Amino acid sequence: MKKWTPYFLLIPTFIIIVLFIYMPAGVSLQTSLYKVLPFGRGMNYIGLKNFLKLFSNPDYLYSVRFTILYVTTTVGVTILSSFLIALLMVKKIPGVRFFRTLIFAPYAISPAIAGALWTFLLNPVVGHVSYFFQATLGIQVEWLTSKPYAFYAIIFASVWKILPFDMVFYIASIQNVPEEILESAMIEGASSMNRTWKIIFPMVSPITFYLVIMNIVATMFSSFAIIDVMTKGGPGQYTTNMIYRLYLDGFYFQKAGVASAQSVILVTIMIAVTMVYFKLGERHVHYQ
Amino acid sequence: MKKIIFVALLITIFLASSVAFAADKINVQFWHAMGGWRIELLQEMADDFMALNPDINVDVQYTGSYGDTINKLNVAIQSNVAPHVVQGYDIATQMLIDGEIAVPMQDLIDADPDFDIGTFMPQVLNYYRVNDKLYCMPFNSSNAVMFYNRTLFEKAGLDPDKPPKTYKELYEYSKKLTTKDDKGNVEQAGVCWNLHSWFFEQFMATQNAALVDNNNGRTGRPTKAIFNSEPGLKVFNMWNDLSKEGYMINTKVHDWTGSRNLFISQKVAMLITSTSDVALMVKSAEENNFELGSAFLPIPADAESGGVVIGGGSLWMVIGKPEAETKAAWEFVKFMAQSAQQIKWHTGTGYFPVRKDAVADLLAQGYYSESPHNLTTILQLLLSTQNYNSNGAIIGAFAEVRNAVESNVQKMLNGDLTPEEALAAAEKAATVAIRDYEGL
Repeated sequence: MKKWTPYFLLIPTFIIIVLFIYMPAGVSLQTSLYKVLPFGRGMNYIGLKNFLKLFSNPDYLYSVRFTILYVTTTVGVTILSSFLIALLMVKKIPGVRFFRTLIFAPYAISPAIAGALWTFLLNPVVGHVSYFFQATLGIQVEWLTSKPYAFYAIIFASVWKILPFDMVFYIASIQNVPEEILESAMIEGASSMNRTWKIIFPMVSPITFYLVIMNIVATMFSSFAIIDVMTKGGPGQYTTNMIYRLYLDGFYFQKAGVASAQSVILVTIMIAVTMVYFKLGERHVHYQ
Repeated sequence: MKKIIFVALLITIFLASSVAFAADKINVQFWHAMGGWRIELLQEMADDFMALNPDINVDVQYTGSYGDTINKLNVAIQSNVAPHVVQGYDIATQMLIDGEIAVPMQDLIDADPDFDIGTFMPQVLNYYRVNDKLYCMPFNSSNAVMFYNRTLFEKAGLDPDKPPKTYKELYEYSKKLTTKDDKGNVEQAGVCWNLHSWFFEQFMATQNAALVDNNNGRTGRPTKAIFNSEPGLKVFNMWNDLSKEGYMINTKVHDWTGSRNLFISQKVAMLITSTSDVALMVKSAEENNFELGSAFLPIPADAESGGVVIGGGSLWMVIGKPEAETKAAWEFVKFMAQSAQQIKWHTGTGYFPVRKDAVADLLAQGYYSESPHNLTTILQLLLSTQNYNSNGAIIGAFAEVRNAVESNVQKMLNGDLTPEEALAAAEKAATVAIRDYEGL
């Protein structure tokens, strides 16, 4: 009996996961092989045509390239800057708690609101950021409708949104780095640069490992709201990433089959990334 | 024990009363896509209907944008929880017909001797009639119109009684109305419309040009896009020339609010937007102390004379509901199409009244002499040549066609493509979308 108790207790979670995650995923996998007519008028089996069409569609291939660029930039910038800010935030300076609260605020805001906020700030005519640029540098930038500024704007908003999440983890883990190690390093004459990059950074590598995966998921899948609100994938598909392309095909053009194929591709990529990463992680991550 | 009996009794009473409530009232669900102050306006109209029809309860729900509403409907139809009446937007017409989701409005009209479709404006009926059949009830109709700031015109030394009529004049006026600081940054621009393919479609129709083959899809299903034509190029060139010099400010895709705000804050002197904004523009001009002007859409000097296309939405009645509910829903749709309701809707928003008698009543009441901007919009519609081009294209994959136009216009504005290249690319992408939808 005892052997079965854990399974018994897992049943409620299991039911929810199957109903809301595995079943829809299975349905998507099936739908990806069909041409689906809107309003449930019918489905025609077309085999792998949806996939073949996607891979010969330059717009889709562009969105894949853009996603890679967007994800690597956002994750890289976020990890680096959150680590550096966390280093400051563990210092015993007056008002540090106040600053922590301030910096954490963006995480509590929904992506759609964050997008709307940046849309206002970056408005070329009445936005504060634009005003600042005009007043100091004398340049007028159309942040959301011109290249490459739309990309910068999206990156900036995404980083701003994810940064607090990473920072909280870094603050906690940096505080866990044993004092003795840092002290002995200091006695040995290690510079603060060396202490940061040769001691603290490797010591928090399990957290970095976890955050990179979480950030990739967040930027691949939850970037939809920020892009939809800020640029709508424009100018001219310039900021259309894979998830936004999926939204366009699935919910704007009502092409459920093609959209399902895209979600299958997204999931496959995600699985591959995670597997490679875990393999690498086993080798390089240092657990205490 | 006593407590249990008491609770059981309460539950019984509650259930009984709710059943009784459901039995004597027929519930009609109505989904619409009209945000802002129009949510209350539609609720008011539904309340008026319920006061007249105490046996019917109308449940009005705002379901987000036009696109979101279609999405919700798509899912609701497949899970059998669709509303009785839903507001569909202009470009979804063919998709909704193909979806066979609706009771054709024509059948209900033909079966009801009280209802005379002859009182409706032909311009509106021509848009929604597909294969000589009316599938939905025209409700909120609009098209594109130009508003301008008379005060800024005077400041720039332009005659506010002479708004630009041609593309050339539009360019010259915009140039005069644009002011830049010593670093070359635009402080005030000439003109603005939000980045929307709808304006391209309107500019095409005013030049009497078609978007797709088979007479804009009106005499047969479309097989390809044909807007890579001389009129198409004129629109793209005009758009590009104005933007390149900074005489026009472009927004992001479908940013109606953004373009309106530029005009209201007097950052641009001319705005091309939907006629449904009349009420808002009149109010905003007053609040911001400038004098409002309105004019027809400009056309190239040598263009064929065409007309504006009806846009907006219509009411669809979902098929497969119990007969009593369908009947109640039909009563509601009929009510919304009545002259009094159409007048209320027109004066509250700016959408056209879709009926001739409503226009006649308003004229008799002196409404149009007091509201000159409403006169501009209705005259532009009435003076439009009626043919396949101004009746608007019927395309199943319209949303995708629009996307093709919009993304290529953006590429042109960003300097990635010349107007010729952008137009050709847009036409090609639109044809791919059409052929994919039609299964060609």
